[in-house]
Amino acid sequence: MGSPPLFFNWSSKIVTWLGISAFSFLLLGLYWGLILAPPDYKQGDVFRILYIHVPSAIMGESIFIFMAFCGFINVIWRAKISGMMIKSAAPIGMSFVLLTLLTGSIWGKPTWGTWWVWDARLTSTLILFFIYMALIGLHSTIDDKTKADRAVSILAIVGVAIIPVIKKSVDWWQTLHQPSTFTLTSAPSMSAEMYQPLLLCVIAFYIVFAYLLTLNLRNEVIEREKSKNWVKILLERSK
Amino acid sequence: MTNWINLILRKDLLIAFRRSSTYITPLIFFLIVITFFPLALGPNQNLLSSLAPGIIWIAALLASLLSMETIFSDDYRDGTLDSFFISLEPTFLLVLMKVAIHWLITGLPLLIAASLASLILYLPFESFLPLLLSLVLGTSFMSLLGSLGASLSLGKSAILSAIIVLPFSIPTLLMGTAVVTSAALGQDYNGFLMIMGAMLAIGIPVISLLTVEALQLNYE
Amino acid sequence: MFPNLKVENLSCVRSETTLFENLNFEVLPGQNLEIIGSNGSGKTTLLRVILGLAKQESGKLSWLNSDNNYETFRTFNCFYQGHNLAIKNLLTVYENLYMTKVSSKLTDEKIMLSLNRVGLTRSNEFAGNLSVGQRKRISIARWLLDDYKIYFIDEPFSALDNEATSLIENLIEELNDKGSSFVITGHRPSNIVANRIDI
Repeated sequence: MGSPPLFFNWSSKIVTWLGISAFSFLLLGLYWGLILAPPDYKQGDVFRILYIHVPSAIMGESIFIFMAFCGFINVIWRAKISGMMIKSAAPIGMSFVLLTLLTGSIWGKPTWGTWWVWDARLTSTLILFFIYMALIGLHSTIDDKTKADRAVSILAIVGVAIIPVIKKSVDWWQTLHQPSTFTLTSAPSMSAEMYQPLLLCVIAFYIVFAYLLTLNLRNEVIEREKSKNWVKILLERSK
Repeated sequence: MTNWINLILRKDLLIAFRRSSTYITPLIFFLIVITFFPLALGPNQNLLSSLAPGIIWIAALLASLLSMETIFSDDYRDGTLDSFFISLEPTFLLVLMKVAIHWLITGLPLLIAASLASLILYLPFESFLPLLLSLVLGTSFMSLLGSLGASLSLGKSAILSAIIVLPFSIPTLLMGTAVVTSAALGQDYNGFLMIMGAMLAIGIPVISLLTVEALQLNYE
Repeated sequence: MFPNLKVENLSCVRSETTLFENLNFEVLPGQNLEIIGSNGSGKTTLLRVILGLAKQESGKLSWLNSDNNYETFRTFNCFYQGHNLAIKNLLTVYENLYMTKVSSKLTDEKIMLSLNRVGLTRSNEFAGNLSVGQRKRISIARWLLDDYKIYFIDEPFSALDNEATSLIENLIEELNDKGSSFVITGHRPSNIVANRIDI
């Protein structure tokens, strides 16, 4: 699995199936959450944005942990594919973080009257966004792509270690400066009717990530190995 | 500490002192940034006094970043870094040596500049010693982080190195300002200092090893 | 003890091009090896692979019959002079020599002796003020500071006048007699006694 051509062949078999299930789960989850589920007694229909906001937040963080894991494998075992995974996953993760921030803003305006508030969650998410940018930026400046993979592997490992520290310190910082805790993502008591579609959305987002990652990774593999024979044969066959 | 590590220490210190810009530039940058705040925000004593911890810390972070680019680039370019990897000495020790020297050249003078800054920003007297203590711990950690950033972006722009390092320095910023602010309120600040100390203690072995790994990327 | 270097079937690939393949050679006491090639042919890379500063694609490197052991190499007293001379401009000639890694303490006498040998007189001059040829001489002076077994020198004869060239040739001969070996690279064959490899 660590070799690019093997991965490409294997992924060709699953990619359409992955795409279809991603699309269907997403459709199902969003329809259930955005349309079918009952409105919140306090916030009305606006709270429905939670069905996008929360899964995005979860994805933003999970993907970073995934990247750190790949980074660890890349540094210790030098598997080429794990290095490329980081590069392919990073933009997806960053987009999810961006989505989290945007949906957070959209939720905040009607609910609390502001587009932005320096609460612990949003602040940590903003910092996570910057760390994603640093990763992507670092990778793009290094010309030798294998070397770039190793560099971002190291950065991802450091990141995953320091992000909990950042979150803890931002948490503490917020309680110091804003005694009234109101977090945009707090839904203290969720009924089953609200929880179930949320779970489905989270699962859907994971599958979407898997699909997008596979697509990106396949592109990356082709791009990196374009001078190798197996790619040339592939292109010949598809003509 | 073997003889050769001794020599490297002396060599780098000599070179740093002979090129006075190494230690003067971060200082001047720090003081200019500090000056900009009263200019931009107005000279109201109460306002500045309350903002002083944050302003001094931000200026210290930025000044620290400015000087990180040169930590490895000279040695990489003229082949001295090669000799680090050929030698018997554990490379992470050599990296730590360079970090220590970097701190002596940038962090230490910063303490003097910060004392000046606390005067002109009307920092409360009780906060003064805590400020210095927090800066000692904080700037050392910044030098460590900076070496990691420099090793990852060896030969690339300093801004990139800064982008990598800045988000990771947020805990240091929060803790550092916490020390100073709570000292001004008369509260106990030792807890925060201990957290900063712990970060430094963990950071020294972990970050230096990762820095060596990053430097070795250039030797594949 | 001499670190006999044996290289078997060494090949190296960089950016999809094979720099060299199936190289076989040995370095024994007092024997020199000269690696000849044009610019970018991989001679510097070969040197760096031997020293552990670059990775080879395939092949075996053994020092004193122990396999590809980087640790083994590092315990032997070898000297490396790269293309960039590792000379600090802000240090004086004397200081540049003093800061060299040696196995036994450097005395003032030893340093002045080697400076005299290479024809550098002003030891308090900053290295940054010297010409390229003179800086090369500082690097050569380093050769004499310790009892090195193998010298790995990248392009020792480039940018040198006739006088300096014969200085190096004499030095190499002297050190050969003492049992040291030289592995050098260059664009064209030099006058020293050596086995030659073309890349």
